Parts: sequence; structure tokens; C-alpha cells
Amino acid sequence: MMFELKIALRFLKDGRGQTTFILLGIAIGVAVQIFLGTLISGLQKDLVNGTVGSSPHMTFSAAETADASGLSSANGFVASSAGNFSRQEKTLDNWRPLLATLDQATETTAVSPVAEGSGFLLKSGERWPILVRGIEPERANEIYELKSKLSAGTYVVEGDQVLIGTSLAAEALLETGDTFTLELPGGQRQSLTVAGIFDLGNNSLNETWLFMSLSRAQRLLGFGDDISRVEVQVEDVFAADLLAEAYEKQFIGIKSENWKVQNASLLSALTSQSSSSLTIQAFVLLAITLGIASVLAVSVVQKSKQIGILKAMGTSSASASRIFLFQGGILGLLGSVLGSGMGYALTQAFLWGTSIQTGEALFPLEFDPAAAGTIIAIATVASIVSALFPARRSASLNPIDVIRG
Amino acid sequence: MASPLLEASELTMVYGTVVKTHALKGVNLTINSGEFSSIIGYSGSGKTTLLNILGTLDRPTSGTLRLLGEDITKMSDEQLAIFRNRNLGFIFQFHHLLPEFSALENVLMPTWIQSKNGSMKMASRAKELLELVGLKDRINNKATALSGGQQQRVAIARALINQPQLILADEPTGNLDSETTEQVYDLMRNINATLNTAFVVVTHNDHIAAKSDRIIEMKDGLITRDYPAAAMDNDAVWKEIAPKYCRYCNRDLETDGATALLL
Ligand SMILES: Nc1ncnc2c1ncn2[C@@H]1O[C@H](COP(=O)(O)OP(=O)(O)O)[C@@H](O)[C@H]1O
Ligand SMILES: [Mg+2]
Repeated sequence: MMFELKIALRFLKDGRGQTTFILLGIAIGVAVQIFLGTLISGLQKDLVNGTVGSSPHMTFSAAETADASGLSSANGFVASSAGNFSRQEKTLDNWRPLLATLDQATETTAVSPVAEGSGFLLKSGERWPILVRGIEPERANEIYELKSKLSAGTYVVEGDQVLIGTSLAAEALLETGDTFTLELPGGQRQSLTVAGIFDLGNNSLNETWLFMSLSRAQRLLGFGDDISRVEVQVEDVFAADLLAEAYEKQFIGIKSENWKVQNASLLSALTSQSSSSLTIQAFVLLAITLGIASVLAVSVVQKSKQIGILKAMGTSSASASRIFLFQGGILGLLGSVLGSGMGYALTQAFLWGTSIQTGEALFPLEFDPAAAGTIIAIATVASIVSALFPARRSASLNPIDVIRG
Repeated sequence: MASPLLEASELTMVYGTVVKTHALKGVNLTINSGEFSSIIGYSGSGKTTLLNILGTLDRPTSGTLRLLGEDITKMSDEQLAIFRNRNLGFIFQFHHLLPEFSALENVLMPTWIQSKNGSMKMASRAKELLELVGLKDRINNKATALSGGQQQRVAIARALINQPQLILADEPTGNLDSETTEQVYDLMRNINATLNTAFVVVTHNDHIAAKSDRIIEMKDGLITRDYPAAAMDNDAVWKEIAPKYCRYCNRDLETDGATALLL
């Protein structure tokens, strides 16, 4: 073992009370940093999940360029408005290559094509405006988690079997197995059967959305093989904007939207929350650093006799300063490892404490070992830096002054 | 005659800038290998100042110092540290062991400083030295759990571990009782005889001085007398170093009796 390390360890071991207190101080500081970090990121994840957990993170639809529409009509695809609605969105034609690419991308977790158009539900002489959403059931389920959100019936979306929301079902007095008539803007009518009733937790969606199979929606809406858009969920929701942009560049004639644009105010709230959490962490780090610096500054005075003797016996000034740098490093490393353990315990206590009454934690917390590792590294480096001043005093100590007494 | 271990010429030392203290006023001194010398003199005569300069712990205001043939005044602080570690041993008045470490670890300290790593060979040598100074069964005692005499013996073992040719001691028995003083002195004399290590010992204890090979007397920053003690008989030595105590010198008493009375 290096001589300086040996001396550093022994000095720390010998100053038992002092060492214990500063270690506890560092540990508590680091525990607060880790708990706070975990809490904030858990809270943010929960918020973001609540916002976009079961909705698309980005969507791709047809770009409204003259060129695209010209091309579409030349190809004979319906790129014009469907029905009488003049403000109808342009449909997306050559979408299968895009879908295949998105399916293969590692960044995506769910990819679902949608054909969408408005219509009316007719029942007992009354009309309710609705939004027809043609989907591939398995793919759509990955985004909307419809299977688990059925309040009645079964998850069957094929032929004339469709899903409607709870609010619509209540208003039109529809139950599973009931039939009703769908009227499209063009005037054509279609008889459909309620296979299931969903609750998406949002009243306006529960009131207007109707899920039917993609192929039937395409036929009823007169889309041919076109769709309205591709809806996508991604692994890292915060990278959705960059990803969307990248695909927009790769595929000519599509335009993208992503959740970040639509939730700018939520995001700015999250950002300011993160930066205030960072500020607190920085001040905790500063307090730790100052604590170590002051303890070592006292220690360098307490140990000046020892340093003087060591120097008389031939210890170089560089060595004498390393003794204190090692002490700083050891305190920082030990304290922050201890603090990480305490931080972990705090998160577990929080999960347990908030789940006593409801059986489920207030929101999920995930202890992030990588983040703890970063904090340990930063705390250790900061501790070594805080030992610089005492180390310099140790280096400049003159053995003569000590030996003369 | 062997080449000198130490050659000091015209060493001066001035402390302070406003109020100047001329602690050394031109000291010339040569120490040969294997020599056991004592420096005596009144308090404030410059003994500690001289010893610290000879030990390279301090730099003289002017003059030159050669140790083992090397011009010390031209070396950097870091070079001096290495030189001290390899070639010099120190024994201080207040023991100056590291209280955090055991007797054995204190003895090993100079070897750790030198090689940065401990070695088994050194550990067994340290044990031998602790045995030599009579502390075989105190090896693992913390420094603070030893008596003053024991601590000083550990310090002697520590001074010896790197096998220096010269050991400098500043009042090594200054705060030990007379019996322990005798033991420590005998030990140093023993080591001097068996290992041929040269000693320069600053002492207030005339008893120790009297048994040295050579006595160096200082007064007001100068060496006023420098004479061999070994060659003289006891009475003559006492006459030289402490004439005021030497009421019995002319009487026909046995040497031991005279010594006992002097104590
Ligand atoms: N660091 C210092 N600053 C100023 N004067 C000093 C210092 N050290 C010693 N002196 C003075 O130098 C002279 C010699 O001191 P010292 O070498 O300690 O003598 P001794 O060891 O013989 O008692 C004394 O007058 C002392 O006051
Ligand atoms: Mg003195």
C-alpha cells in the first residue's frame, strides 16, 4: 500500500469522532441528493406517463404539398378530401415502407396505422357526432391499452364489430351486442354491432371515439389503401421530437407531430422542476465540500507535529500534500457510498410508507444505480478538490517549526 | 584517516529581519565516521541551530556544508528530503513518534518514506532493532502506550532503520530521569561501537558528555573549545567540562565514587 495512503487511513481512523461525524454529514447530504433525484425523476416519469402513457408520442401524416397531391391524383389514389368536408386532412398513401421502417427501429415500442374520419351514430331517431378510427386491433392496443380499458364486452374489432366509449354508450343507451347505424358525411350508412365498451379515462374521447377495423374504415371513408396517419410510441419519450424530425427528413411527403409540441407548458414545468432540483443538489454538494475542507483544515493543524516529523525523516512536500488529498478522497468515497445506501433505503421507505393506506405507492420510484454512481463520482472528486487547501498547508509546513516545539 | 563525514565551514545563521539574532557566527566543524561527539554549552549558545543545519533541516545564512562529500547547500528541498531519509538519523528531545502508529510502524516509517511500500525484510530488521533497544515485547504497542524512555528507544531504533552513517540527537535524554538517561546513553554508545554509526549529541548532561569521544563547547554562536574526551582520564574531563562541580577532583577518590557524588 502506498505510504501516503497508509498515513491518511491511520489519521482518519485515529480521529474517530471527527471522522464519523464528517462521514455522516457527507452520507446524509448524498442520501438527500439521491432521494431527491429519485423522487423528482419518479414524479416526472409519473406525470409524463399520465400524459402520454397511452397516447401516441409522435404521428406521421401526409404533408400538404402541391406536389404530393398532384402525384397522388396521378396515381389514382384518393388524396383529396373524403366526403363533403372541405377541411378534411390529406391522406397518406405510400405508408407501408414507413410502417416497416418504424417497426424495425429499436427506438419505437408501438406502431399503429389509423384511418380516421367523422360521422354520426343514429339510434332511435337521434344523432351523435362521432369520430371513426380504423385500426389494426393488436397494434392499437399497444398504444391505447384498450384491452385493459374495456368496461364491458370483448376486444373484437373486425367486420361490423366495433368498440364505443362509455359516455356514448350511456347517452345512446347502447350495450354490448346492440346494433346501431353509422352515417358517413357522404350519406352512406352502415349497420354496426357493439362488441365492447371502453373507458379511456377522458370524457370527450369516451363520447366520440369509435374503433373499427382498419380495412372497413378505409372502405367506408373512401380512402382506398390510404390511411390518415401512423401513430407511434417510443422508448425515450423525451427524444420523440428529434426522432420525428429524423423520419420526416427520411420520408418525403410526410409531416410529423409529437407530444412535446402539444405539451410545451408541461415540459417547461418539468424543466424548471429539474433545474431547481439540480440547484438543491449543487448546494448540498457545496455544503459537503465545505464540511470536508473545514474538517481537514483543522486536521492539518492537529497533525502538524506528525507532518513535521515525517518531513524531517525525508517525506517530500508533494507526499505530505497527498496525505490530505487521500483523506479527502477517502472521506468523499466512503461517505457517498454510505449515503447512496441511505438514499436507497429512503426510497424504499417512501414506497412502503405511501402504500400503507392504498396498497399502492403514491407514484413509482426507481432507484437509478447509474445516477448514484455519478453522484458518488462527483462527491469523491469534489472531496479531493476540497482537500486541496489543507494539502497545500501540509506541503508548506516547515519541519523546523515543529521540532523546535 | 578516513574522509570526513561532515565538513562545515564558516556557517553563520541570522534569525529575523528587523531584530537580528546572530545565532551562529562562523562555525567550522569536521566530523569523522564512527565518531561519538557531544555538543555542550549554555542555553541560547546556538547548539540546536547548528544541529538543525548539520541535519539539513535548516539552511545557514552563509557558509558551506558538505555531507558524505556532497555540497548540501546546493541541493533543492526535495533533494534534501531524500538525502535525509537515506543518510541521516534523528533523535529529538520530545521523542516525536507518530502517536497513531505502533512502535514497529514508527521504526518502519523511514523505510516506507523511502520505498513507498513495506517489505518483509524491513519488518524483520525493524524487529531486530527493537530487540536491540530492549523493546522486543512492546513491538505492537501504540507509541502513546510507552514510557518516555521506551519512546526514546523507539526513536533510536527508527533513526537506525535506514542504516545512516550519522545520527544527530538534540538533547535526547533531556526529559528522562537519570537512570533512563544512562540506559539511553549506553544504548547509543553501544550502537556507535557495534555499527560504527557516528553520533553528534547535543546535551546538557555533563555525564553523557564526559563519556563521549569528543566534546564540542559552544558559546554565543561559536565553537569555543573542541577536545577529545576519550583520551583523557575521568578527572581531567570533569575538570574541563564542569570545574565548578569538581571539588573532589584533587582528592584521592575512586572514579565511581566521584561520579556518584556528582549526581
Ligand atoms: N526561530 C528563531 N527565531 C529567532 N531567533 C531564534 C530562533 N531559533 C533560535 N533563535 C535564537 O538563536 C539563538 C540560539 O538558539 P538555539 O540554537 O536554540 O540555542 P541552544 O539550542 O543552544 O539553546 C538564541 O538566542 C535563540 O533565541
Ligand atoms: Mg536547544
